[in-house]
Amino acid sequence: MDNKINRRIAIRNMALILGSAAILPSCLNDKGKPTVQLKHLKLNADQETLVTELTETILPKTATPGAKDLGLHLFVFKMIDDCYDKEHQDDFIAGLDDFESAVKKQHGQPFSKCSVKDRTAFVSGIEQHSNDKNYKDNAKLTAFYRMVKEQTVFGYTTSKYFMTKQIVYELVPGRYNAYYPVKKLAAV
Amino acid sequence: MANLNIDSVKDRTFDAIVIGSGMSGGWAAKEFTDKGLKTLVLERGRDVKHIKDYPTTNLYPWEFPHHGVLPDDVQKANPIVNRCYAFGEDAAHFFVKDAEHPYVQEKPFDWIRGYQTGGKSLLWARQTQRWSDFDFEGPARDGFAVDWPIRYKDIAPWYSYVEKFAGISGNRDGIPELPDGEFLPAFPLNAVETYFSNHVKKTYKNRHVISARCAHLSKPNQIHLDQGRAQCQERTLCQRGCPFGGYFSANSSTIPWALKSGHCTLRPHSVVESIIYDEKKGKAAGVRVIDANTKEAIEYYADVIFVNAAALNSNLILLNSTSNRFPNGLGNDSGTLGKYVAFHNYSAHINAEYDGAKEWTTDGRNPAGGGYIPRFRNVYKQETDFLRGYACGFSAYRWQQNSSEGIGQTLKDNLVKKDLSGWHVGSHMMGETIPKETNYVTLDKSLKDPWGIPQLRISVDYDDNDEKMKKDYVEQMTEMFTSAGFTNIQASTDHRAPGLDIHEMGGVRMGNDPKTSMLDKWHRLHACKNVYVTDGASMTSTSCQNPSLTYMAFTARAVDHAVSEMKKGNV
Repeated sequence: MDNKINRRIAIRNMALILGSAAILPSCLNDKGKPTVQLKHLKLNADQETLVTELTETILPKTATPGAKDLGLHLFVFKMIDDCYDKEHQDDFIAGLDDFESAVKKQHGQPFSKCSVKDRTAFVSGIEQHSNDKNYKDNAKLTAFYRMVKEQTVFGYTTSKYFMTKQIVYELVPGRYNAYYPVKKLAAV
Repeated sequence: MANLNIDSVKDRTFDAIVIGSGMSGGWAAKEFTDKGLKTLVLERGRDVKHIKDYPTTNLYPWEFPHHGVLPDDVQKANPIVNRCYAFGEDAAHFFVKDAEHPYVQEKPFDWIRGYQTGGKSLLWARQTQRWSDFDFEGPARDGFAVDWPIRYKDIAPWYSYVEKFAGISGNRDGIPELPDGEFLPAFPLNAVETYFSNHVKKTYKNRHVISARCAHLSKPNQIHLDQGRAQCQERTLCQRGCPFGGYFSANSSTIPWALKSGHCTLRPHSVVESIIYDEKKGKAAGVRVIDANTKEAIEYYADVIFVNAAALNSNLILLNSTSNRFPNGLGNDSGTLGKYVAFHNYSAHINAEYDGAKEWTTDGRNPAGGGYIPRFRNVYKQETDFLRGYACGFSAYRWQQNSSEGIGQTLKDNLVKKDLSGWHVGSHMMGETIPKETNYVTLDKSLKDPWGIPQLRISVDYDDNDEKMKKDYVEQMTEMFTSAGFTNIQASTDHRAPGLDIHEMGGVRMGNDPKTSMLDKWHRLHACKNVYVTDGASMTSTSCQNPSLTYMAFTARAVDHAVSEMKKGNV
């Protein structure tokens, strides 16, 4: 019970960090049930884990925080649930299943059970295909991957962490310098 | 009607009633109350108080649930307003939702509305240019529309009057077709905007690229501080409402000023159903309001009534104000009410790149948005196969180039790259459209809105003149860009519906002849002299300048006239 509450609070805090307060965990103890409550997407726990690990593979914890540290997986769920239409959500689920099948075919086990090295290698392969306009195989897998990546990157580049530690977003510039030397910019 | 006892006729009687609290209604409220008149301001939407009711104004991007993106269901439920550039997660609460305020599109028309205290003045793009006699004399010269009953000299002092209070930044550019005003310092052009400005000056006669003039307090004067406003902080988050009052809105300026006078009663949630005409007295007696929440009908009375409901809603109110004397709408002896609606044509753009000025970039944000190219076609003489002309926005910008290539550390590195792009330049057209009888609004015979008021039917479209003008914009800008050495020039045109420009005008046009117009040179109905219309509905033609500044000047001038008529006992 305590664990459950702590987990709830932890996730809620992460959600708050992201400004995604509306995502709250549902019952965690029922095996196979998802931990995030979504309005439209129907995800089971395995699918949710896969997407979570995929966001971490795209933006892993290194010397700087990774996707899970920043709660980006929750942001991805929220965005795809709220901001995509049914057609794209269906593609997301179909592509997710294709993704998992492809992983199992290649590595004999689910994505989340693969080593970090194998995960990275697998996602790198998809990343290459997803940039190839002529690549037509696994269209839904690729579409799924692009959705997850797009929202992971969007969540990351608009996160409080990124906008205060990596590039500094200013709510109030209080200035407009029409002529600003590029040299000066480079010196910052 | 339970509250009739406490809400007696006396309590519901004012010197002046102003319908609408936005760009022009706010000015009417300020001017009447400055002159000591007991004034009722009716706003159909909710009250929005300066600063207090700007819930998103200080939010960081990560503090929005979807980091700025509107949920799909909100977008799907609002296909019309969703086309507006400012309808995002940060400002959606200031826009009318499609389903809540229905209207009929005989032809596609994106009617963008803001129903709250301040109206669309919270949301406008804040560009402010005066008209010149080339605009006021245009119809008489070209033979379209009817002659304006006023000239630049009539309105020039009133432009000065409202500019000083509102705070307009700009340069004194000395261009006859775009008269100078009472300016605060301009926001400067950047390196490439300046380069293009100089190039155009050298290469073309009577073409100019100037700093865009805008309603921002670049350097406030005492009168602005007295309003409780402060210097523009260059946040460029204006559509959220500005806590500094850095840009002009009715919420930060005219409405609180009017309320402070002690003579103003602001009544939100008041949908005006019609203006009441007193057959015996031969003038308007007041207005009938439907309370937006209770749906209760209430009447208010006044000596003079200002209609500032925004162009098409002002038409709707007059069309719905029928009586034995005016069976086709108040003041509509000419039969022109609702007709000759026009707008601005924004349907062409051009983008390019520039390989020079690499040593310069910009720092901070420019609230003026860059440069402005005043109309240069058919100004001194008719020189093309289309009537009138267009103004153009122009701006140059560089951005920090990053890429989302790769995964892992590579991706993290790509996302923080600080390489600057080269200079990109862009322009969009702002064309005058011709007011035509076939562009009209009328009332639907059966469909009603949720307050029991007939829905507006809008039938407005482009014509051949617009197509020719659009083609000319693309040709001229391509030529100007080419001669300036810009590369990778990409012109594009789109098929947006009228209305998305948010510059709908006309339907209650001014004119000298009561047989062909609705309003006299003081903006009052020819046939009902205590009712004035001073918003976009009153526009005889549209020119290509952004219209808000002209509405403000019209309103201040009309109130001055109304009050002097009242003093003379003529009202």
